[in-house]
Amino acid sequence: MRLRTSWLALGLLAAFTSSLAAQTTARVELTSPTPTIAVGDRVQLTARVFDANGNVLDVAVRFFSSSRREFPISRDGLLQPTRGGEYVAYVRVNTARNVRDSIAFSVDFPPVRNVVITPTSERFFVGASVRHEATVYDETDFLRRDVPVTWSTDDPGIASVDRYGELTAHRAGIAILTATAEGVRQSHRYTVIPNPIRTLTLSMSQDSARTGDVLHATAIALDAGGQRVSDAPVSFSLIAHPEDTVVAQFPPAEIDQQGRFVAQKAGDYTILAIAPGHVARYTVQIANRLVTQEVQFIGQGPVRDVPTSDLWIWEGVDGRDYAVTGTWGANGVAYFWDVTDPSSPELIDSVVVDARTVNDVKISEDGRVAVISREGASNRRNGIVILDVTNPRDVQIHSTFDDELTGGVHNVFIYDNHVYAVNNGRRFDVINIEDPTNPHRVGRFELDTPGHAIHDVWVVDGIAYTSNWGDGVVLIDVGNGIMGGSPSNPIKITSYADFGGATHAAFPYESPTGKFYVFMGDERGRPGFDGQEGNVPPLMGGYIHIVDFTDPMNPEEVARYEVPEAGSHNLWIEDDKLYAAYYNGGMRVVDISGELKGNLMYQNREIARYLAYDPEGYVPNAPFTWGPQPYKGNLFFAEHNSGLWAVKLQPRRVLTP
Amino acid sequence: MLGRLSVIASLCVGTVAVTASRAPVLQLSYLLYVASESEDEVTLLRFTPGEGLTIEKVIAVGVFPAEIEAPHGIFVDPDGSRWYLTLGHGFPFGSLWMYATGSDTVVSRMDLGLFPSTVAVPPVGGLAFAVNSNFHGDLEPSTISIVDLETMIEIERLETCVMPHGSRFSPDGTKHYSTCMMDDELIELDVATLDIARRLDLSPQTPAGNGGLGSVCSPTWAMPAASGDYVYVACNRSDELLEVRLDDWSIARRWPAPTAPYNIAVTPDDERLVVTQKGSGAVTVWNRATAERIAFIPSSRKVTHGVVVTPDSRYAFVSVEGIGGEPGAVDVIDLQTLRQVATVDVGKQAGGIAFWKTEG
Repeated sequence: MRLRTSWLALGLLAAFTSSLAAQTTARVELTSPTPTIAVGDRVQLTARVFDANGNVLDVAVRFFSSSRREFPISRDGLLQPTRGGEYVAYVRVNTARNVRDSIAFSVDFPPVRNVVITPTSERFFVGASVRHEATVYDETDFLRRDVPVTWSTDDPGIASVDRYGELTAHRAGIAILTATAEGVRQSHRYTVIPNPIRTLTLSMSQDSARTGDVLHATAIALDAGGQRVSDAPVSFSLIAHPEDTVVAQFPPAEIDQQGRFVAQKAGDYTILAIAPGHVARYTVQIANRLVTQEVQFIGQGPVRDVPTSDLWIWEGVDGRDYAVTGTWGANGVAYFWDVTDPSSPELIDSVVVDARTVNDVKISEDGRVAVISREGASNRRNGIVILDVTNPRDVQIHSTFDDELTGGVHNVFIYDNHVYAVNNGRRFDVINIEDPTNPHRVGRFELDTPGHAIHDVWVVDGIAYTSNWGDGVVLIDVGNGIMGGSPSNPIKITSYADFGGATHAAFPYESPTGKFYVFMGDERGRPGFDGQEGNVPPLMGGYIHIVDFTDPMNPEEVARYEVPEAGSHNLWIEDDKLYAAYYNGGMRVVDISGELKGNLMYQNREIARYLAYDPEGYVPNAPFTWGPQPYKGNLFFAEHNSGLWAVKLQPRRVLTP
Repeated sequence: MLGRLSVIASLCVGTVAVTASRAPVLQLSYLLYVASESEDEVTLLRFTPGEGLTIEKVIAVGVFPAEIEAPHGIFVDPDGSRWYLTLGHGFPFGSLWMYATGSDTVVSRMDLGLFPSTVAVPPVGGLAFAVNSNFHGDLEPSTISIVDLETMIEIERLETCVMPHGSRFSPDGTKHYSTCMMDDELIELDVATLDIARRLDLSPQTPAGNGGLGSVCSPTWAMPAASGDYVYVACNRSDELLEVRLDDWSIARRWPAPTAPYNIAVTPDDERLVVTQKGSGAVTVWNRATAERIAFIPSSRKVTHGVVVTPDSRYAFVSVEGIGGEPGAVDVIDLQTLRQVATVDVGKQAGGIAFWKTEG
């Protein structure tokens, strides 16, 4: 720790100014006692203010930094960098026009403290090649990706290593593998032994399959005694012979180092298992996944004067089928429809509340209570409105609830007599509606991560699945029992944040395979959206991340459904089918049967797509699909620009020559 | 200012004289921006006396077409080259956007705190003071973000009080004023040092914060007089207007106003206060010297929000939110005749309003 200061500084920092300063201040000059600085140093910056004649003025100045966390500068100019890198120190006179100065600093990182080599084991086989990673930390425990690492072995005749850390053993002996970063060395001692592997066999979970099916490769290495060599280093690769050999296609198949193989193109694929001195092969045949089905338009409940938001379909207490749709950026109306005949949705009632957006609409399990969300209330008290929908032709307001819920409720879910309401984009509140005329808060849940936010909540089997933008999806026990949670005491179970950080909606799915997936949908504005003028549909981006939560404490992102030309919005899963609203990309139905891996978009898993064009729509002929719900064999979905739609998947036609 | 305008006018006349055989009568017009919080758009308007108020341009703002991002505060740089906009909603933080006037294209942006609302720039430019109102969060102290506009770096986030609102500078730019909606306080910041200079309890006969009983005044706006000797405060909850004397930092006068006064403009000639009455759906005009109400002018819609006055003290432009699906509106009030002389519909929940320039 060093303190560098200048006597000049302190006398210039008096908090004095006057309107005269604005007229006379001409420039400010920032100086540092040193051009170089390191993490942990303390450097007192100084500034002098001059008038147009070069006279020094007694005027208050303000120092600031290009990066407050890594390069903090106190308001009086004391600089104490906490991390290396390129930064800028500034000083300005607040009461004068454009009077500022700056100095660029290159802050030295602290020395490297340690290097960690992975993976490691005690023994290494002659002929084996294994790639190693070196993780470098400096004295502040900061992970340093910028530091070059060099690799070496003590005896290249026994084992050699390339510049990427791939170690290859040549003969038996002791091999010391060393990674060096800024002179700090970390070594690992291997005992190189003669390769015990005598045979290597490879099997696949299936000989033939379809595109999108996940096959598992199993390689078994045996020694001369026929015993399994459990630590045999085996890697997998493949040789593709796809039917479609068009140049510059995307890779036709992939296999990971756990032996999970999936093909995107039909053809023959030879899987390779590679162990020291041995290569085993297994060829599988992949056929096209023939799952496409035609879609028949059934009916439309047009809403053309305002944009439509979410929907919910339910069977009323009278046995008829009903739908409710919200509206967005409009007049606070929710529409109720009789969809018993889905070919002719009948508008039967509406409710208008003081809001501009009724983004979400939900119905209780017994079909008697609806909850609609409010945003844009004229008095800024938003909250929720609880409706009696026992008779959907005469919807009545049970009650409103906005206590500490004023900031706009964007999404809600009803589960077991409780409303889970996303509150102000920061948390969800749990509101008991056993007596819907007397709602009252019983609990709430808020993440404690910096800058946390929440967009959506969905509850299944006592677990709330919240979508939290950069914090990804969070699973919370609200009555499942796994963590002892309840509506009044929600307890976090686990979470997963994807790389993109745009988690907007999530839907859990217990696959018949035994896998438990959570589908996490992004919401992204497409780059380049800059506010086009006129009534034109915007473009959206983002995709659906598929995360394997079978081991809830170790979730693994395994697949995606990414439509290149459009972005994801709300989704629903039922009977091995993903129903995904994809904004400009319309309504998509995707086969999610079996284990999932890779990008489902390119695996012929798409069953159907439907783009709802309405020439009289709010934006004419502009599909902007908001949310789906399969119901009694039909697929209902909300179209932002044209209201409620119903379509039906037709039985797959098998063409017989 | 008048001298500069005269020069510009002379130059314009000269140009016209060269290119036309008969010099037309140049028509004065005023340009202003208004933000529509529930439409995610900003509208550029032109008012030409005698001809009316017209929409020059509608500028879509924000980055998420499918989420409302709530443009709230808007302010034109004193040099006229930029306008600044706060977006209240983010994930979770709001943001400050810098646009170029004229082209109305984005120059830069940066994150602020929770629901930033009002923003202002001092007369010398270079800094933006945006209050992070956190309208809907827990009732805990929030902040004012102070942003260097050349680098778009937040150089200070100063904690002031619960639900700060309003952001205006003294005429000489050395002091900044904001209010505390839930703490019943007026905050004066020293611009040179970015310190809180003074706090003033605005609630009548109660301690600051009202002993946890909630705000009485709920001040929503603080507007310095052009002379710099007083600041005027709107008590939105107690339906009062307050005159705060700056030399001894005391409440000189408080007088009743119609329901829910919200924003205040002081005419540049310092003679009048123009007050939006959010709860009354109206604008009131007051004699500053006598505190006498000289006009009550109903707005074209309900929920009257912001107000700015032209540099010549002749017209007031008033934003009106509307309710539900109603469009927002901008009303023009002639401060000589004390009548509404023009109105135009804009996007829903028109709020922040900023004067850009005079032409002609």
